[in-house]
Amino acid sequence: MTGNKTTYKVTGAVPFDVYQPGETFEAELDPELEERALERGSIEIVGGRTSKKKEEGNA
Amino acid sequence: MPKRVALKDSFMVDTSDLSNLARAVNADFSDEQVDVSGFSATGVNEYLPGPRTQTVTVTFYGSYGASEVHAVLYPLYKNRSTTVIKWRTDQTTPVSATNPELRGNAKLFSYGPGATRGDVDTFDVTFTAFDAAGLDWFTT
Repeated sequence: MTGNKTTYKVTGAVPFDVYQPGETFEAELDPELEERALERGSIEIVGGRTSKKKEEGNA
Repeated sequence: MPKRVALKDSFMVDTSDLSNLARAVNADFSDEQVDVSGFSATGVNEYLPGPRTQTVTVTFYGSYGASEVHAVLYPLYKNRSTTVIKWRTDQTTPVSATNPELRGNAKLFSYGPGATRGDVDTFDVTFTAFDAAGLDWFTT
């Protein structure tokens, strides 16, 4: 799935890219990077989409 | 160029800003020195630069919360993942000719946190450039 931006929230204690903790942002992250960031608690997906890797696994 | 005291450096790993959890950064670019000496009147060795190794060693504070140092770094080592690292000297201003950013793809070939009773928990981590693009300085 490409070309779809996702809305994320920075949930960790440290900034993610240029975004501060608590901030939301739209981006199209590399699936591997997204999965690592989700697993370590840096970000969460807001808006109901699941992670790209999980989507691929369910396809 | 003015002298500077390193205070505002920015260091990012895997898109996480670990600047405040790091206290030292040392880049080391070195070329293997290949001896191509022949017989000569002076006897002085002749060298050519060989393969290049680029590393960036960072002293991190031992930090084990969600999204912090261990949570970012250990999965990269464990899963042999490729990540992007970025270092620039002033996090308060954008990347520019006077605030260049060292960046590129890197891997962690080792990971060794530790602790000493009564001491601040810090440990060194070395990021090694592993692809042909290497690490380079960017001004934009």
